[in-house]
Amino acid sequence: MQAGSLKQMSYRATIALLILILSFLVCIGSLVRVALVDGEKYKLKAEQSQLLDTKVSAQRGTIYDSNMNVLAKSASAWLVYIVPSKITTDAQREAVVSVLSEKLGIDAEVIREKTLKESNYVKISGEVEENVKNDIQDYIKQYDKENKKSKDAKLSQIICMDPDTKRYYPYSSFASTIIGFVNADDNGNGGIEQSYNSELTGVSGRIITAMNARQKVMSSEYEMTYEAQQGANLVLTIDEVIQYYLEQSLDQALVDTGAKYAYGIIMDVQTGAILGMTSKPDFDLNKPNVISNQLVADKIAEIVDEAERSKETQNAKFSQWRNRTISDTYEPGSVFKTVVVAAALEEGVVDLNTTFTCTGGIQVANHYQKCWKPGGHGTETLTQGLMNSCNPFFITIGQKLGKENFFKYFEAFGFTEKSGIDLPAEASPVADVTYHSLEKMGIAELSSSSFGQTFQVSPIQVVNAISTIANGGKLMQPYVVDSILDSDGNVIAKTQSKVKRQVISEKTASTVADMMENVVSKGTGKNAYVAGYHVAGKTGTSEKIGKEGAYIASFAGFAPANNPKIAILVAIDEPTGAHGGGVVAAPIAGEILEKVLAYLNIEPQYEDAEMKNVSSTTPSLVGLSVAQARSMTSGYTLKVVGSGDKVVSQTPAADSQVRSGGVIVVYTDNQAQKQTASVPNLTGMTMSQANSAAVNSGFNIRFSGTTNASEVVSYKQSIDPNTEAELGSVITVYFKSTVNVQDA
Amino acid sequence: MAEAKAKPLPKQNSASKGKKKKRKRPDWFATGSFDVPFLLLVIIILTIGVVMLFSASYTYAYYNKNGDSAYFFKRQLLFAVIGVGAMLGISKVKYEYFKLVGVLGLPIAWLLLIIVLILPARFGDFHRWIYIGGLSFQPSEIAKLVVILFCAWGMERNHKKIIGKSVNQSAFSKKISELTKGKIVVYDSFVQLCLYGAVIVITAGLVYLENHLSGTLLILAIGVTMMFMGEFKKHWFIIIGIAAVVLIVFVVTNPEILEKYAGARITAWLDKSYDPKGARWQTNNSLYAIGSGGLFGAGLGNSKQKHLFVSEPQNDFIFSIVCEELGFVGASIIILLFALLVWRGVVIGIHAKDRFGALTAIGIVFQVGMQTALNIGVVTDTLPNTGISLPFFSYGGTSLMMLLAEMGMVLSVSRYSKMPKK
Repeated sequence: MQAGSLKQMSYRATIALLILILSFLVCIGSLVRVALVDGEKYKLKAEQSQLLDTKVSAQRGTIYDSNMNVLAKSASAWLVYIVPSKITTDAQREAVVSVLSEKLGIDAEVIREKTLKESNYVKISGEVEENVKNDIQDYIKQYDKENKKSKDAKLSQIICMDPDTKRYYPYSSFASTIIGFVNADDNGNGGIEQSYNSELTGVSGRIITAMNARQKVMSSEYEMTYEAQQGANLVLTIDEVIQYYLEQSLDQALVDTGAKYAYGIIMDVQTGAILGMTSKPDFDLNKPNVISNQLVADKIAEIVDEAERSKETQNAKFSQWRNRTISDTYEPGSVFKTVVVAAALEEGVVDLNTTFTCTGGIQVANHYQKCWKPGGHGTETLTQGLMNSCNPFFITIGQKLGKENFFKYFEAFGFTEKSGIDLPAEASPVADVTYHSLEKMGIAELSSSSFGQTFQVSPIQVVNAISTIANGGKLMQPYVVDSILDSDGNVIAKTQSKVKRQVISEKTASTVADMMENVVSKGTGKNAYVAGYHVAGKTGTSEKIGKEGAYIASFAGFAPANNPKIAILVAIDEPTGAHGGGVVAAPIAGEILEKVLAYLNIEPQYEDAEMKNVSSTTPSLVGLSVAQARSMTSGYTLKVVGSGDKVVSQTPAADSQVRSGGVIVVYTDNQAQKQTASVPNLTGMTMSQANSAAVNSGFNIRFSGTTNASEVVSYKQSIDPNTEAELGSVITVYFKSTVNVQDA
Repeated sequence: MAEAKAKPLPKQNSASKGKKKKRKRPDWFATGSFDVPFLLLVIIILTIGVVMLFSASYTYAYYNKNGDSAYFFKRQLLFAVIGVGAMLGISKVKYEYFKLVGVLGLPIAWLLLIIVLILPARFGDFHRWIYIGGLSFQPSEIAKLVVILFCAWGMERNHKKIIGKSVNQSAFSKKISELTKGKIVVYDSFVQLCLYGAVIVITAGLVYLENHLSGTLLILAIGVTMMFMGEFKKHWFIIIGIAAVVLIVFVVTNPEILEKYAGARITAWLDKSYDPKGARWQTNNSLYAIGSGGLFGAGLGNSKQKHLFVSEPQNDFIFSIVCEELGFVGASIIILLFALLVWRGVVIGIHAKDRFGALTAIGIVFQVGMQTALNIGVVTDTLPNTGISLPFFSYGGTSLMMLLAEMGMVLSVSRYSKMPKK
């Protein structure tokens, strides 16, 4: 090009180039703004959309009894949900409905309704177990395989499953009102599950996963995990064996007495640890929403009105979930006399030599309070007064004590405060509602309170007060969780037993304990007698407020009286027929105590009079010659079965508890058939009658219950009459007294 | 010009003399060496572009091409190889022959632009592509080149008229003069202005009818650049500049006058919170990608936004993935490479043998440069998202081949350029 042209061209090209360079600089400037200046902001936004933040629920901790038996445990399970918006054909819908209703046991119509929702997430069921989930998945795979060519959504995109956890209670209804259960959100509902919810829950973790815009999770190199902190494990003070004995007896009591409810507490008097606690009827922890009481369930099913039915169902549920030992209150009745006598002794207004003459009643203000025994008890000592559960005597003691002192001890024994047990829903004492405040206490209130009426306390308060007398006057704080363990089993926290205060002196306590032992050995509590164990206790009967003819029969006590280990409270709520504490509750308490004390390896100390009823231990005869066996069993009735020379087996086995003079059957032949016989009816008999009936039929007998009084009659036997049992088997026969066990 | 022309001819002669026994070279066969720096720049940018395309596209390809992550990469690589071959082949063609493309190409391009409007659209309402066999191409791509070559051809021929003060001698012009009694004199330069202006506006208008706002703008920009380089009088450009500003302001303040699609894009550009799942989805995710890259980037292959957040990351928004992976520094280097490419093309043009060569080379590199700037402007939300691809980077076989053929033309021009000594 010509020089001029070149110059003009260069000039123009330079201008154009500069403009273009300028626009490039604008681009770079924009990049500075987006990448550097606002970079962090955009990066954050990018991460928000790229990252999937998934919560990893921490596994809920395990609950153990004091022997490390698992009472509650969480395991992984699955949550099944559907994506109804992806259902396009009727065939798909039918497949979804049929597989889910079949595998999950849910009504087909319910699922069909859910498939019709316009939603991307409809939960079908949580806590689905692994094998059920696998079944559903197999079906989905099969279906998708068969419909491979279909352009509709795959069934695997419609039915989805997410990890979930499920709480298992291996013992079902066992200790259900103490343990509580978890709701759908894995939060505790009632019991320890509720009160220790935060400890059990742990801290959920997070997995932050990169994903693409289609919400598909990308490879794990982009993944960041914050470990979930597993929930802590709890070790309860509840002893599975003790709890079992308690529940077994109270379940039986419900059947035997026809009562509405039965509840009991067993407490370690030295520490305040609850060894057993139950409130019957209870429920299956694995199915908390199922009404456990068939009668109630049937009644509810008959209700036609739906609103009414659902209300009643709800009431029945709350009723079976209720831990009545801490949430219910009742008039303690005569059991409370132990507290009054302790207060009076401590204050010195009475002593063991104090006597009172009961004439059958006493005038209180303008009301004549009758004694339960027509004609009265006559002159009685303080101990006899307690044994007789004489109301006029206690009214005078209460009046002597005065309302200030009465209230001082009422408060000191913990009746105006919650026990502080680590369980939810403990009843709150309210002044002038559940009890008489000092200000509003008149002579009438003081007098009625002195024999345990016109005020309400909870069972846990009563057993705690009884425990105070047992342990030398220390009011303890009861507790059910012994220790908290981390997921590796290390102890994080251990409950230290807490003495709330010294309520009475040790001397007073031991005096009252002796008096209470007399109540059991000779007084109204004699049905709670356990040979060799020196049970101390007091019976109580109270009419339920506002419910004519409805009673609560109770027994509260401890054992052994000379060295107390455990306190017990048994209350039978609304028994039919007999309703006295001595008749209804005391034998149950005695039965429980016998088993529990033996389980606790407390060495029995028999009085001379008791020795004759005591069992001996059977020797081991296996491997011995028949002659040797005979010489070893001089005090027994030996029965030899078979023609061999040596003993091959024996019934009862070695080390069994059998009364001297009992039957031992030895077999000398391997092939020898076990000899059986029909068990005789041993109830309604005196001790000697029962003994001879048993031995004559070829069985051994073990005496249980009240065996130190002459008037006792057997009322129960461990092997039912007319069943076939092996010869030599030990039948435990229970005795109780019906004489002088009236308490109020 | 005579000098410039004279020099290669003896060479050609000597070559034909020296190797007489060999097959006689056809007269369209260009000799002389091409500009190596320009070729190197093309190869470097192309290489980076193809690698980045692979990185950006593999997730999208995986999900949309039956799990074939390398789907786009394989095709782009194939076209790149063919395209480089074509580029080198075209560089061997005497560039005078490209005039034919400019002259014959214009009616063909217009015809194709009309045909594409009639053909059924495959994506939404976008009549942009013509499908022949398994291939597709955009007539607007052809139109861009044709406009450059037509202008280069015409502006060289009519150079004297454009820069001179000759009065137009056509009957129509005389009539106007008579009617206005000599008050209005129609100069040749004005007639030329109207002629090229009409060609450019008609072409741009046809492209606009395709629903292709950015293509329209690009053709207008190329046209204005060609006219500027064609040495039309400067005051026209002031008028054009003012008219452009007025028009842009009017359109931006009244986006509804544009057809729905382009209007929504402008609204989305103005209102940063507008329709985040729709009109602004791409732009927002592009910004997130660039922001995530920061100064040095996440490293090649480590973009997260390409995992379907930036939709079709192999196309118009590939530069955001480049920014995320290579960072501000890497992106700036790429912009610098483009700038060097344009600069080298301009140098080739300025030193070209003749005006046609100069205008061809400068027009082509400016087209690449402007398209790059527009694309980055869109990716960084500096301009509305109008749908413009990044040369050498965005996926598209025919358009890549076209681009490389254009580079071949620049190289052809460079064979005759009298480059200043280094």
